[in-house]
Amino acid sequence: MSALEIRNLRKAFGGLQVISDLDLKVPPGQRHAVIGPNGAGKTTLFNIITGWQPPTSGEILIQGVPVQQGRPDLVTRGGLSRSFQKNMLLESVTVLENLRVACQAFDASRHSVFRSSWSFSDVIRKARRAAEQMHLDTVLDRKVNELSYGQKRQLEVAIALCAEPKILLMDEPAAGTSPDERNSLIELINGLSPELTILLVEHDMDVVFAICDIITVLSYGRVLATGTKDQIQSNPQVIEAYLGRRHA
Amino acid sequence: MSADVALSSEQRIGVLKRLPLPASRRAYAALFALFAVSLCALPSFVSGYVMTLAVEAMIAGVFASGINLLTGYTGLVSLGQAMFLGFGGYGIAIGTALLGWPLWISAPVTLVVVAAIAAPIGAICTRTRGVEFLLITLAFSQMFYGAAIKLRWTNGSDGMTGIPRPDLSLLGVSADNPTVFYYYVLAVAVLSLLMLWRIVTSPFGSVLVGIRENERRMMSMGYSVANYKIGSFALAAVICAVAGILQSQYTYFVNPDAMSWQMSGEGVLMVIIGGANVVLGPFVGATVFVVVKQALSMITEEYNLFFGIFFMLVVALFRGGVLGFISTPIGKRQ
Amino acid sequence: MQPFLIQLLNGVQLSMLVFLLAVGLTLIFGLMNILNLAHGAFFTMGAYFGLVVANDTGSFWLALLIGPLLPFAAGFVLQFFVLHPLAQRGRSTHLDLALLTFGLLFATAGAVEHVFGSAFHSIVTPDLLKGRVGLLGMEYPIYRLFIIAVGIAIGVALVLVIDRTLVGATLRAGVDNREMVTALGININMLFALVFGFGSALAGFAGVVSAPVMSIYSSMGIGIVVTTFVVVVVGGLGNLKGSFYASLIVGMTDTFAQAYLPEAELFAIYILLIAVMIFRPQGLFGAVGRVA
Repeated sequence: MSALEIRNLRKAFGGLQVISDLDLKVPPGQRHAVIGPNGAGKTTLFNIITGWQPPTSGEILIQGVPVQQGRPDLVTRGGLSRSFQKNMLLESVTVLENLRVACQAFDASRHSVFRSSWSFSDVIRKARRAAEQMHLDTVLDRKVNELSYGQKRQLEVAIALCAEPKILLMDEPAAGTSPDERNSLIELINGLSPELTILLVEHDMDVVFAICDIITVLSYGRVLATGTKDQIQSNPQVIEAYLGRRHA
Repeated sequence: MSADVALSSEQRIGVLKRLPLPASRRAYAALFALFAVSLCALPSFVSGYVMTLAVEAMIAGVFASGINLLTGYTGLVSLGQAMFLGFGGYGIAIGTALLGWPLWISAPVTLVVVAAIAAPIGAICTRTRGVEFLLITLAFSQMFYGAAIKLRWTNGSDGMTGIPRPDLSLLGVSADNPTVFYYYVLAVAVLSLLMLWRIVTSPFGSVLVGIRENERRMMSMGYSVANYKIGSFALAAVICAVAGILQSQYTYFVNPDAMSWQMSGEGVLMVIIGGANVVLGPFVGATVFVVVKQALSMITEEYNLFFGIFFMLVVALFRGGVLGFISTPIGKRQ
Repeated sequence: MQPFLIQLLNGVQLSMLVFLLAVGLTLIFGLMNILNLAHGAFFTMGAYFGLVVANDTGSFWLALLIGPLLPFAAGFVLQFFVLHPLAQRGRSTHLDLALLTFGLLFATAGAVEHVFGSAFHSIVTPDLLKGRVGLLGMEYPIYRLFIIAVGIAIGVALVLVIDRTLVGATLRAGVDNREMVTALGININMLFALVFGFGSALAGFAGVVSAPVMSIYSSMGIGIVVTTFVVVVVGGLGNLKGSFYASLIVGMTDTFAQAYLPEAELFAIYILLIAVMIFRPQGLFGAVGRVA
């Protein structure tokens, strides 16, 4: 069974067809990138997969279970967690609190109304582990709005990891980072469990090649090609549509 | 977009220092104890007039605390919380006068009923956000205000009188005595505050803060935020209803004016003055408000005029306004 | 009880009055994202200024012409010198601005009471519009028909201005993309303040228009503004055409509740609003909100 399977997906905004007849299968453990020029429908695809936007038609199965539209929380509970292209953090609380709240979502204590949240040590332990995974353990008590941009990008991914997902969707994790920040982010992502399925949207080809084994190229909402780095780089259609212009 | 984010980060800085974090909990507890002790000692030092003001401020403080849970912690600004103030007053009035139940049954039943009514109202209201939430809560309160004026069962616009204060004869005192009533209100206020404290430091409370900070992220973390917002709405309503019970016992009557639009606005004003998002803030705000209102009523007949001006000044000048720390732009086009 | 047709006309008349308020509120919200809770204050201002003019000159028409000027000026000043600078300082969300105008609503009611007292006033119906006209075997006051005509005329004029003229195109562009309009070299602050003033003037105009059929008193704006809020939420916040249809729906509901179900007259429109919110939280005519 595929970790993620997309069948016949179509999305139109009014008369504008953003995604047409898209099929995609991502087997467990694969590191899969979706690339394509601006407007190719990448972010829309992500929003549909995670239940934020309804598709016009088609089906999305996460570990064999269809996505229920309008309920992003259930998508996360179904084992698919995402990070966002623009930072979506709880800005005025600490890094630890961000991660603690994220871990708490999967703990029975989330319904507790009269006990202190600091008395649930399991949740805090998990939050600390997530912080270590993304090298944020030195800034646990800092408020998010005091972090550097690169650290915020790391936290963005760390929060997604707190759900202990089977599938991780990352929407341009390296967007706006400096080369140093980008390299450490690549290193951190490559250090994640090999069983974790990753679907990555990224403009930066170096990041894509450093992380992913399989690449799907989207153009005007259609799959142009799917294959390894070499297959993609030698595909004439892809060169014309995308790589050729950027990597000439 | 990035400019927006930078701006709102700056807005938040002022609030950071006032968050209930473990490091500062002891300081909060000490402050709280000091506050409680000085309030206990108050009747031995001041005149009956000051004590009357203190009672009014504490009742208003409980009311504003309910609003604070919804506004300061969850980030939902309501202009209809006075309806729950009215529910509290009408609840015990109906229970004691119409149904003939003793107060100790009427009061808890009232609070349970308020929670049961507030949950579906909250479910409808929290489908919207921002200014639409403000309008729909206002509409709900206006609806009940209108119903209370029309309802002959509760004496229409005249309201209901003869609301009993608690029977404290077991302790050998009468709650009709202002000092005794003062201590009764103080005890209820402290209890409400402790309850609020537990709520906002609990996992549930941390989810509410998360919703205020970034609702979409909370959904993406796997929280069904709708249920938490409804929970916050219902709990806030119960706290406001507690204030409503106290208020009706204080004046021995309740009428539709308890649910007026202006009353809701006054509550929001107290929260802004005291600083949203701080447990004690609403009590500070309520005290300032009661004193200012009292002073105004002595120097002028035109209370509305000065209330309005005071309101505008507070919103414009106080600590970044009611929700200076809210990051999510609620504008229809982002 | 008056016959059904009369009630129907009364409903349309109330609808048009509310529409005059709702359309200004909608314009301001659509363009500036500001919910002006003080909109009712401009209604009051217009009515009282019209009253002063009518008392001094004895002319209803002059009152109708000059009355809206005060709310226009007040609206302009409010946006240009208060709301805009506050928003620029970056510390005020539009919720703050809404609450600020809430204060203004009460301050105005208080100020009016201070100047004019709490008595009820009225402007005399002009001779031209006095009397009744035969209509399908009934008699109906001409003045109420005049209100209906004025509401429809202003609605049509607005649609034409916004859809067909350069000013309208600029406004529509401003709603879609503020930066672009600024880049065109248009002083957007001035434009916003003028629109704010215009919306307020419409509310003031409604105040004068309503004076011969409803009383003028200090808190007249507080009651009607809540009805207006119901209209803008039912119609979808910021949706001009929606506000027209919603005015009709709300005005009719209110009128018919008063006529046939007096127990419910004070809250019928809220039940309508709540029903709308349950089934279409974005309003009957609003676009489906974006989620991501």
